[in-house]
Amino acid sequence: MRLGNTDMIKIQREDVDIGAMIAAAKERSMGAIVVFDGIVRDDNIDEMEVEAYEEVALRDMEEIRDEAVRKFHLHSVDIVHRVGSLAVGENILVIVVGAGHRQEGFEGCAYILERIKERAPFWKKEYRKDGARWVKGNLEH
Amino acid sequence: MITVRIRLFAQFREIFGGEVSLPLAPGSTVAGAVDGLVSRAPGGKKALLEDDGSIREFVVLMRNGKRIETNEAGTVPLADGDELAIFPPVAGG
Repeated sequence: MRLGNTDMIKIQREDVDIGAMIAAAKERSMGAIVVFDGIVRDDNIDEMEVEAYEEVALRDMEEIRDEAVRKFHLHSVDIVHRVGSLAVGENILVIVVGAGHRQEGFEGCAYILERIKERAPFWKKEYRKDGARWVKGNLEH
Repeated sequence: MITVRIRLFAQFREIFGGEVSLPLAPGSTVAGAVDGLVSRAPGGKKALLEDDGSIREFVVLMRNGKRIETNEAGTVPLADGDELAIFPPVAGG
């Protein structure tokens, strides 16, 4: 583990420097860093608007981080979820997981992503030439 | 009277606005607050309630950040200053 509680869990409008996140995460104890970068796909949309219930979403992501650290013995977890107006190709969600070994890293990163999709209060609205629509949510929440 | 701060997100924010300050009788429940809210906007009732007046099952309710099941909303009381969040299923990531 990194010394102290230096993990970064953030919701922000600005883009994020993934290279800098990886560099900041690296520790001598790690054998693998796994990165998930969720981006706006070109489904014939002009842009996407992402909204959050920020206090609860931050709390949920911190809980998910803690669960994943315990379950997969992760050395570090950094999560940035963006909100606001995003164009095709822009980053939506970046997860950087540091682990001793690759399997823990891959599994831990996937766990964090799936739990965020399942329960953290974020919503997406897609804007198309023929109108706007909210992305169908997860009914398992 | 007590006052509850209702916060709404996504489709529900577009119908009711992001935040509503709702005065209620002391002893009111989460379901009572939803009933008080729906008449405040056109389409509000249809968005949150079934034809029989029960809260639609997919609606997510949180009292002070803690999830309340829709079928228990009639038994959970609200206090002055409580925050009630109402939102559709989440779609982040």
